[in-house]
Amino acid sequence: MELYEYKASELSEMLSKGEISSVELTKSVFDRIEDTEPSVDAYLTLNRDSALLDAEKIDKRRASGEELSPLAGIPIGIKDNISTAGIRTTCASRMLENYTPVFDATVITKLKNAGAIITGKLNMDEFAMGSSTETSYFKPTRNPFDTSCVPGGSSGGSAAAVASMEAVMALGSDTGGSIRQPSSLCGVVGLKPTYGSVSRYGLVAFASSLDQIGPIARSVKDSAMLYDAICGHDPMDATSARRDYSPISGTLNGDVRGLKTGIPKEYFGEGIKPEVKESVMNSVKALESMGAVVKEVSLPSTEYALSAYYIIACAEASSNLARFDGVKYGYRCENPENLMDMYERTRSEGFGREVKRRIILGTFVLSSGYYDAYYKKAKLLQKRIRSEFDSAFNDVDVIITPTSPFEAFKFGDKMDDPLAMYSADICTVTVNIAGLPAVSVPCGYSDTGLPYGLQIIGRSFDERTILNTAYAHELSFGGFKAPAIAKGEVEL
Amino acid sequence: MIKGYEVVVGLEVHAELNTTTKIYCSCKNSFGLEVNTQVCPICLGMPGTLPTLNEKVVEYAIKMGHALNCGINRICKQDRKNYFYPDLPKSYQISQADIPLCHDGYLDVIVGNETKRIGIERIHIEEDAGKLLHSDKFDGSLVDFNRCGVPLIEIVSRPDMRSSDEAKAYLETIRSILRYIDISDCKMQEGSIRCDVNVSVHKPGEPLGTRCEMKNVNSFSAVVHGIDYEANRQIEVLEAGGTITQETRRWDDAKGESVSMRSKEDAQDYRYFPEPDLGTIVVSEEKVQYLKETLPELPNARIMRYMESCGLSYNDAAMIVDVPEKAELFDSTLEAGCKSGKLLSNWILGEISKLMNDGTDISDTNLTPEKLAKIVNYIDSGKISTAAGKKVFDAVMSDNADIDDFIEKNSLSQISDVSSLEKIAMEVVSQNEKSVSDYKNGKTNALGYLVGQCMKASKGKANPAVMKELVLKLLEE
Amino acid sequence: MTENTNIDIKHVAKLARIKISDDELPKYSEEMNNIIRMVEAMPEIDDELLVDESGVMDLREDKLAETKLSRDEILKNAPKVVAGCVVVPKTVE
Repeated sequence: MELYEYKASELSEMLSKGEISSVELTKSVFDRIEDTEPSVDAYLTLNRDSALLDAEKIDKRRASGEELSPLAGIPIGIKDNISTAGIRTTCASRMLENYTPVFDATVITKLKNAGAIITGKLNMDEFAMGSSTETSYFKPTRNPFDTSCVPGGSSGGSAAAVASMEAVMALGSDTGGSIRQPSSLCGVVGLKPTYGSVSRYGLVAFASSLDQIGPIARSVKDSAMLYDAICGHDPMDATSARRDYSPISGTLNGDVRGLKTGIPKEYFGEGIKPEVKESVMNSVKALESMGAVVKEVSLPSTEYALSAYYIIACAEASSNLARFDGVKYGYRCENPENLMDMYERTRSEGFGREVKRRIILGTFVLSSGYYDAYYKKAKLLQKRIRSEFDSAFNDVDVIITPTSPFEAFKFGDKMDDPLAMYSADICTVTVNIAGLPAVSVPCGYSDTGLPYGLQIIGRSFDERTILNTAYAHELSFGGFKAPAIAKGEVEL
Repeated sequence: MIKGYEVVVGLEVHAELNTTTKIYCSCKNSFGLEVNTQVCPICLGMPGTLPTLNEKVVEYAIKMGHALNCGINRICKQDRKNYFYPDLPKSYQISQADIPLCHDGYLDVIVGNETKRIGIERIHIEEDAGKLLHSDKFDGSLVDFNRCGVPLIEIVSRPDMRSSDEAKAYLETIRSILRYIDISDCKMQEGSIRCDVNVSVHKPGEPLGTRCEMKNVNSFSAVVHGIDYEANRQIEVLEAGGTITQETRRWDDAKGESVSMRSKEDAQDYRYFPEPDLGTIVVSEEKVQYLKETLPELPNARIMRYMESCGLSYNDAAMIVDVPEKAELFDSTLEAGCKSGKLLSNWILGEISKLMNDGTDISDTNLTPEKLAKIVNYIDSGKISTAAGKKVFDAVMSDNADIDDFIEKNSLSQISDVSSLEKIAMEVVSQNEKSVSDYKNGKTNALGYLVGQCMKASKGKANPAVMKELVLKLLEE
Repeated sequence: MTENTNIDIKHVAKLARIKISDDELPKYSEEMNNIIRMVEAMPEIDDELLVDESGVMDLREDKLAETKLSRDEILKNAPKVVAGCVVVPKTVE
């Protein structure tokens, strides 16, 4: 077994026992990248030289007897919308093609302090807008389980890198499902933490009130380990929650006896592929056999969640992305005739179609005369959705739904129809609207071997319960199944 | 009233707060430093950065709210105002829209000899933008971001002013309060207070006219000239049978005219919405109360006190109160035992103002309230003359002289003792028969000559006022 | 609500400082109208939006930052810099 194949929890132990060095591990991961990256295209920027230097430093510190954190020496990939000082951060946009931040996101500072090794920056949908990673300005990323299919999105590079073992773990970001949906499509574990539990400082904002950074990994324990390292109150983020974040990774035991598990019928209706429903329900039955108590719950406003989501997310995005104006950083058009020309051409040339579409929609819903009919109504709906979750969680401890209504789809399948693409997020957006934590774990495979995922939603700041439920499921269903990805296989 | 029209004016005053750091980041809040040296990723709006609200900004705004008798929204939020301009790095300004920190207050201003109450609609907090620099030699504009994120409060009055004089008095009072509660440096030439003016005209008894907003009115004289110009322009349009269109105009102080910037139709659509990067502002009841209780005496109250208890004229009182350091010195000198507020005000507005205008910080000099009180009291009682007082004052300032020693050594004390002065007077009168008869023949200036001779005979030590009375008494006999 | 589905895309795009060419316009209009139709299926809700008291934030102490980036560093990503300033096309008020 190659080093890159191990899980973070195993590697952490091997490193601390001195069985392997971080340099060996990092080299192994970069060798793997060299082999499979031509077929997967998960990375936008590789950080090989610094990564090896950092690994060497960690090895020295360990050799000197220093007590190191569990993540020390473990290679982790970073979604390219998380600010890394000195490493290009493009958001997969032409707008930021040559932008190199001068500061680290809080999560990066935390990872660096923990001694994690940054492998590079991972592909994504442009500015995290999309569900297939096809809107990346630079290149599409391929699904390691079938390179003619999308990896999902927007954190498609992160999920594909973890699934293809080009990184031991990765950070993604989730605004409407962008961690969970690609994790589901790539057969890995993706956690969208409670809004406010992970600092957003340094995450290039898409929709500030919905965005959260979270871990993507090949096991539930690894996810918990990475989550433990990045969560916590941050004075640099005014929306960060001040509370006690005690570590979760050591507490997972898979005991779900008496766990009240809610099944919302609204998430099992039309539009969800029958095979997906079936594999989710099989997993629920397995949990029931382990002692969980399953009951039906109702979340009646779910059908409007997607609309509310698009209004809120696009409204915020239209404002958040206004700073890309060709003045201070990033792309500026050639030879602007005047100020207006510079603004319009810079933004028309620098942004891709999906980003422009969402900016225009967001600008429209905030514009004079339409605010009440759209934005205000969406916020009221958000309030209602939150209270529906609140009352559901009076009765149950976790809620289980499919993550994605369908498995990975072919390139180009949904690119011409925004609404079809948006429907990929139908099961995930409500969670962001309600600010709750949710984890996606693999729960089955299609005839062609493409993964299905289920989503476990929990109460605010109750990451432990959803991860423990996920862990129980993982124990019964089995862990990560590596895709049979061949060297340099390209068929796009 | 101009040609039967009443002018209606409302003011929006932007004041930069003198906090240590900016409103949403820990960069230095200061004026006049080298371009783009007081900026960080946050105030430059770099991707991924987030704002954090400076607690002092909230406190300062609440203080101003109390000073202007406002209600305080203890629970409020901030909103984004979206527009593109190169001096606005995020392409939105964080401000407050529907729930300002302070609301519905008033300010009493003194115009002429009357007090006029001006309503305050709201005070909210927001961030300043950067500065654009232009040069004819250069084909483009340069952006200096140092000012980005400097904290501002915007004070919006109701349209309660009826003349440019009232507007000026309002603005002066606002400035004086800002200085008193020490939340702004109020340097208009540095742009730390800026003003937008809303002007309309109508005939009394008729509905209010259409208003025009005038931007860039950035000095007291510009407020007066701008309002007068705009009122006259509107009256001329109406008199010529035209109508006023709602628009934003820009005051060009150099040319002394306002020019149209944009009409209502192309008014900007700012697309306000709640700032999602910031949480709710919640100020405790106790804090609001504390800020109210610790508010210093406000300038208008102080002016009234000086007029009523010290007999100062409005102008003198206002001039002292206008500069907090002068008013502090005035009060502490009274407290140190100074008996004549009137005489003290002459000193503060005379010698001491001269020094302060030259840049002297009085608290750095040898002059203490106790010494100043002593000098003023000696003059007041006639122990020394005003001229001698000036000598004593100079000696204190330059050598920290002991006042009594200095008077003694330099024989500066006046003779106020009537019997010894009477002797001199009698001598002088008997020696100057011609002047005496001149006086009796109606040449009243002979009195001055005689008193002068007496002063000479006393070697300048006689109290001139007493001397004059004695001479007069002898002449009338 | 359905009467609003003909949105003035050009005006909105101008507000957003995005240029849409005439041949792109029909596609944008169609997509936008489809999205708007979906969005307009939202139910009417008789409720008020209040300030979220649960989202109380900590305020920052008014204290200078300890570290400071140099001007060169902070402007290194700017497309055009002259004399320590970012350059833009001439602005006219």
